[in-house]
Parts: sequence; C-alpha cells; structure tokens
Amino acid sequence: MNPTGLLSGMHLTPYSAAAYAIAWVIYLGYLGRILLRMKKVAAEREELERTLTRNPVTPSLTRSAS
Amino acid sequence: MKKIAPISLLLIVALLAITSYLALAVAPTEQTMGDVQRIFYYHVPSGWVAFLCFFINFVASGVYLWKRSAGSDAVAAASAEVGVVFCTVLLITGPLWARPVWGIWWTWDARLTTTLVLWLIYVSYLVLRRFSAGGQTQALAAAFAIFGFADVPIVYMSIRWFRTQHPSPVMGGGQNSGLDPAMAHVFLANLAAFTVMGIVFLVLRYQLQMQEHALESAHAQAALKGVA
Repeated sequence: MNPTGLLSGMHLTPYSAAAYAIAWVIYLGYLGRILLRMKKVAAEREELERTLTRNPVTPSLTRSAS
Repeated sequence: MKKIAPISLLLIVALLAITSYLALAVAPTEQTMGDVQRIFYYHVPSGWVAFLCFFINFVASGVYLWKRSAGSDAVAAASAEVGVVFCTVLLITGPLWARPVWGIWWTWDARLTTTLVLWLIYVSYLVLRRFSAGGQTQALAAAFAIFGFADVPIVYMSIRWFRTQHPSPVMGGGQNSGLDPAMAHVFLANLAAFTVMGIVFLVLRYQLQMQEHALESAHAQAALKGVA
C-alpha cells in the first residue's frame, strides 16, 4: 500500500503529524512493554513451578493466585 | 496470555487508527488556527484519561489504607502508571500545538505549570513504589497519592481561577464557549475511544501487577521451604 495515498485525505501539518506520531509511539510502546513484562512473569512462574514439581518437599506449592 | 497479546494489540491499533482518521480526515478545519488545531482531538482526551486514572488511583489508595488489600494496591499502582503515560502525551502534544499558535513551545502559566507538577507528582509516586524498601511501601505510596491528588482539581480549575496563556475551557466554560457540532461529534467519539483505551491499559496493567504479586509470594514461600 502506498503510504502517501493512505495519508492523502489527512489534513496534516508538521506539528500535528509529529503530535500524532509521538502519541502512537508512546501508546503502542507502553502496550508492548506491558505485554513483554507479562510474558516474562509467566515464564518465571513456569520455571518456579518446574522447580517445585521436581522437589518433593513442597508438593502443595503450585498456583498461588490469578 | 497467548490470546491477550494479539487481541489487545489489535484493539489499541484499531482505536488509534479510528481516532486519527476522525481527527485528521473527518473533523472540519478550524477557522483561526487551521489544521494544527486537530491536535486538540488527541490532547484533550489524553488529559481526560490521565485525570480519570489519577482519580482511580486516589480512590484505590484510600481503599488500600482502609482495607490493606493487595487488589486495591494493584489498582492504585496500575492507574498511576497509566495516568502518567496519558499525561506524558498531554504534555508533549501541548507544546507541539502551542509552537505554531502562540509562537512559543512553553510558558510558565498556571495551567501548564500545574500540569507539569501533576506529572512530576505521579512520576515521584512510581519512583517511590519502585525503589522504596521495607514493608510500608504500599501504605506510604497510598498516603502520598492521596495528598498528590490535590493537584488535579487545581489543574482543572487553573484556567478559571487565573488569567492564562492556555485557552479558556472549550466546553462548559460559559456563554462564549462551545464547539461546532461537527467538531463536537469527533471530539466526543475520540473521548469515548480514549476512555476505552485507558480501560484496556488499566486492565492489562492490573493483571500484570497481580501476576507479579503472586510470583513474589510464590518465591517467598519457596524460599521459606528452602526450595528456590
């Protein structure tokens, strides 16, 4: 798709283009940060559960919340 | 998690695309400022969501001091962070609008200054939560948040109480205020879309906070039993 064609109907000035572009970057960047942290926490939790499963001392310690 | 990521990404991209299209292609051009006025359709909704988040943070902090529940603390942490993100967009889009219209990026008038102070208050709140050690962090942060919220009504009222470079309220500001109906429709649509976007961020950030809390508890239990 031609990006110029996509933007042809938009009434943009350099300042408004910058404002919208920065807002998109901040919101999508923040969403990406949250999702990456969720993935990391899930991986850590799986690792901990594997450790606990291997250890017979604490068989009851599995999912503690959510 | 596997389903949350693509759904939330799709939703946020769709909301950003729709709001941008409405603001940049559908809304009529303002007579005095021209097309640069279209920043308004992102600037004001970002401020609204920031205020809403700080209000949620205020209520959740009060509930935490009363009940001491992990859930209310998670809501407080999530809402402060999301509020700071929206307030950051507010503070960046403002000068980008001011430069072509006022001829300056920034001025220390009451509205701009109190908004910057508001952002600093909640950044300090997040820093306090991140780096404070000991068992009283949540209670300290909650007390800090309750006092910090006092700046929100000051920001809101600043353009009514003081003569400022920042324009007077466009909606609900008296006899000479108001928006053209075509502009008002776009503005209200963007306000609704930004509110949904803020709620999506809040829910995701709350889930993350609770997951981190559960992981910390599991680590602590495992350490007590000498496993990890």
